Amino acid sequence: MSTTTDSAPWVGTDPAPWLSEDWLSVGIGLLIFVLALAGLAGADLLGWAVATSVWTDPSQALGTVSKAYAALGGAGALIVTYLALLAVLSIGVAALKADVRKFAVAFTVVFWIAYASWIVGSYAHIAAVTPADLQKFGITWSLKLTNEGGYIVALIAGLIIANFFPRFAEWLKDAIRPELYIKIAIVVLGAFLAVTAAGKLNLATSLLLRGVAAIIEAYLIYWAVVYFIARKWFGFSREWSAPLASGISICGVAASIATGGAIRARPVVPVMVSSLVVIFAVVEVLILPFLAQTFLWQEPLVAGAWIGLAIKTDGAAVAGGGITESLILAKAAAEGIRYQPGWILGTTATVKVFIDIFIGIWAFILGYIWTNHINPNQGDKAKASEIWQRFPKFILGFLVTFLVGLYLALGTPSEIAAKVPAAIGEANTFRVIFFILTFFSIGVLSNFKKLWQEGIGKLAAVYLISLFGFVIWVGLLISWLFFSGIKPPLAS
Amino acid sequence: MSQPDIRHELQYAQAEPLLPIEKKLIGWSLGTGLVLLVILALLNHYIPATL
Repeated sequence: MSTTTDSAPWVGTDPAPWLSEDWLSVGIGLLIFVLALAGLAGADLLGWAVATSVWTDPSQALGTVSKAYAALGGAGALIVTYLALLAVLSIGVAALKADVRKFAVAFTVVFWIAYASWIVGSYAHIAAVTPADLQKFGITWSLKLTNEGGYIVALIAGLIIANFFPRFAEWLKDAIRPELYIKIAIVVLGAFLAVTAAGKLNLATSLLLRGVAAIIEAYLIYWAVVYFIARKWFGFSREWSAPLASGISICGVAASIATGGAIRARPVVPVMVSSLVVIFAVVEVLILPFLAQTFLWQEPLVAGAWIGLAIKTDGAAVAGGGITESLILAKAAAEGIRYQPGWILGTTATVKVFIDIFIGIWAFILGYIWTNHINPNQGDKAKASEIWQRFPKFILGFLVTFLVGLYLALGTPSEIAAKVPAAIGEANTFRVIFFILTFFSIGVLSNFKKLWQEGIGKLAAVYLISLFGFVIWVGLLISWLFFSGIKPPLAS
Repeated sequence: MSQPDIRHELQYAQAEPLLPIEKKLIGWSLGTGLVLLVILALLNHYIPATL
């Protein structure tokens, strides 16, 4: 599990890296965004990226995202995409002072397994949705997972490696960086959501305002209840209960690490909690999108908000929102309703980003209480500067791409604005690739047996009771209260 | 700390009673959260989402 955040201390013997993983994600996300925007000036700098279509003939599965680079062919596009990502990420990893050679070797394997999973997920018997699709591909049945079922395939591939080939999983660990991959994806997602929101600005503003409810729910209601359960019912110490409550309530990895640092817990505590959160996120991603499709397809934005509130890591939540969107759009399409894509995923991302914004402030509040009232003799008092230190910086990248994207779509002459969706669409191809890498990485981190041996059972019991006892249901209730009756715009 | 120590710590740690400050934190969080949710729900009711 990646625990490289601004709050994590540098423990190597070399000088500390000049760049955090958080800032690196902002840099790479903005690089993709800027290269995509060159399309507005007529320069197609990302059109070589690989795109996958639903297929029955493998030779038809891959292509370039832009026809301008069609001569590359599908295999060529895949190789160029791999080389480009390898180069950019290797430079980034060098800035993080990690072993570039080990990363490059491991990333090569990670990329090819993850993308192969995506290609498998686009097989027509897995991905085709509508009767017209079935007819087009000449097949009589399909799992109807849409091509984003490839995320599930990547997750399962990672789980198989983690649980049946643990030594291989250990060998891959240098490139298993789900937090980095999802943060880059979220920065790029900002631009995609801006283009989506520009079409219906009033609706987008309404959704943003409703995102405030998520903050209250996560920090003030979930946290207090989970902390009480951990302390009172399970007898956990304060040192374990606070990071556990943050992990279950707010945003898994980042929140438990920020809280652990704020209350001066031993490093092992947030690391154990983070591992637990990832395991539960895997289980949730495999179940909740399908429940949402079955029971909430007529309330798509309730489903999107619910996924954002119920799944407790950025990676799994936002990517889970992507799966939920695909499944619900497919179900609605089968019923003759064609919603615009982007709104369900946008709701999930809004809820998640709103929650993330306050991690630093909440950690400071807890740190203040702990260092002044609970352990006042430690001498290491919480400082206001920790709010900025613990602020998830990738959110700044998300805001930049969102606001610039919104300006370009709404504030520029129509001949420029008309080019924005296509330009951002090319950047969005990379968002999908980073989602795939995230899913695979989360799977590789989820060695159930190892975690059980580490004594995580009692922590898991708190999580299980909290998650299925109230997090899922309160999340559903609040999502329903604030998002029911609001439908995504219909596709034109 | 080694893994067996963590297992032992999690299984057999002595209970720490809830301090008044912890009770305050839980109570104020829940109370504030519920009040704010009601206010937001009312706002949501009177200012519905617009397309």
